[in-house]
Amino acid sequence: MSDLLLLVPFVAVVLLNLLPKRARAAALWVAFGVLALEVAAAFVDRFACVNYGWLASLDRVLGIHLATDGLSELLMLCAGIVGMAALLVARKTLDETNEQFYFANLVLVALVGINGIAMVRDLFSLYVFVEVTAVATFILITASRKAEGLEDHAFEGAWKYILLSIIASVLMLTSIGFFLLSTGDITLDAAKGALASQQPLAWVAMALFLCGLFIKGALVPFHGWLADAYTAAPAPVSVFMAGVVTKASGIFALLRIASSTLDGAAPGREILLVVGAVTIVVGAFLALTQKNMKRMLAYSSVSQMGYIVLALGGDLRLGIVAAGLHFFNHAISKSQLFTNAAAIERELGTLDMDEMGGIGSRMPVTAGTTAVASLSIAGLPPLAGFWSKLLIVLALWNAKEYGFAAVAILASLVTLAYFLSLQRRVFFGKREERWAKVRETAPGLLVPAVFLALITIALGIGFPFALKILLGGGA
Amino acid sequence: MTIVIPQSFWLYFTFFALLLIDGLWCMLATRNLVRVLIGIEILMKSVTFFLIVAGYLSGRMALAQALVITVIVIEVVVVVVVAGVILGFFRKRDSLDVRNTRDMKG
Repeated sequence: MSDLLLLVPFVAVVLLNLLPKRARAAALWVAFGVLALEVAAAFVDRFACVNYGWLASLDRVLGIHLATDGLSELLMLCAGIVGMAALLVARKTLDETNEQFYFANLVLVALVGINGIAMVRDLFSLYVFVEVTAVATFILITASRKAEGLEDHAFEGAWKYILLSIIASVLMLTSIGFFLLSTGDITLDAAKGALASQQPLAWVAMALFLCGLFIKGALVPFHGWLADAYTAAPAPVSVFMAGVVTKASGIFALLRIASSTLDGAAPGREILLVVGAVTIVVGAFLALTQKNMKRMLAYSSVSQMGYIVLALGGDLRLGIVAAGLHFFNHAISKSQLFTNAAAIERELGTLDMDEMGGIGSRMPVTAGTTAVASLSIAGLPPLAGFWSKLLIVLALWNAKEYGFAAVAILASLVTLAYFLSLQRRVFFGKREERWAKVRETAPGLLVPAVFLALITIALGIGFPFALKILLGGGA
Repeated sequence: MTIVIPQSFWLYFTFFALLLIDGLWCMLATRNLVRVLIGIEILMKSVTFFLIVAGYLSGRMALAQALVITVIVIEVVVVVVVAGVILGFFRKRDSLDVRNTRDMKG
């Protein structure tokens, strides 16, 4: 059954390309349907235990073992929701039918990779699916043509992503070679055994693999590519990338590896703690200095990824739940902020925050939803982000990492500072003459933003209920 | 299962490291995007070689064979996509110079 998650998007891509050219406008809706199925699949409990006849044999043919658990369902849910939002944004911001068609296809290809990442149980398949997602993203960043006159940095952003991705692939493959040498196998279980028996070669291998994932997840000191890639990408692509691609290929893989191999492995935990804390602080201060709205959101992403990694370094059981919850919250809120950035770019034609000001009264819905998402990421109660940050601090406190808990709390203040600065520079203050005629953006862009904001609010208020499910399924 | 690593590993490893450094040098020393792509190829070849060595020394040749074939397929896809990206850049800017890709700051 879990093979279906790989087959359905793949078959959808093949079928879409068999369609006659004039039917291409339907592509967005086909992709939308596949993503809706994905969300539904995430809610079907114990998806993995069901085996459906001939599909089970695919396991043997492909030679990869797939299984879903609570963590995979989390990623599938994020991918489904964020993907649907990205498609809605694409419908309003990509003008040509052809561009929309390519976007829908590439999102489906990336979805094959993301579903694979959600379900793999060995290191090599993990690498394969990370690469599938990355290749689809390379094309997504560069594929869209910008309007005449706008500066086009798509190539530059994609190129930096490509170079660092290749380095990450080399690190991961070398690591797989070392695992093969030290244990003769590449499953996560074998890796766990080798790490537990303190084989030095296995530790070298694990360090290399973690470095590869740090590059993919854009953690400091490997964060250089992320801001350029997000800023250069077309609006719907940055929604999709910020929401799931970077998270799935870097952070989710880290979650998977930490939860299945780093049980009580002290050196691994220390690496995660230090990298997480440095990422939080550096990302937050870089965000504080930005002028371009998408760039600020990108550095904010870097900083928040640090929180997830920091949580993995804490008490493992609570840490996984906290990290998973923050993963979900951030995917929702950040893709919503990028949706809002797309709305502002569409109406104002610029993303430079120094040129904006006072448009809050002209675009009340955009201003309101932006405030909800920013405050949630900054960790203000009762929004969803508050609870996940609270759990992260608790996980650190339980593991007696008081210093790192303090870093997490203090960096929240910097997060609040840059989001308030964004809100003030864009929406409040005195309105310039040139924005006097700006109107609220198209309903097509408001729907995803409002919907994602409602998820943030609902999860914040209904949190005790959600935690029960997470503790049952996630850990 | 513990595998004793024979002395000959270090011979292979040296070759792998040389190939790796060669690829990195090729990527860093040139200003031509196509040469960077060739550097990427050399890098991937070096890790492919390392996977074969790892499979040989750990007695898992069948597994290593499957891995290497998959890596080769992925590599082809990556190279095609990256070449396409470079081609797009060339059509737009009429140049293959890496120095044209340093506009974004901050």
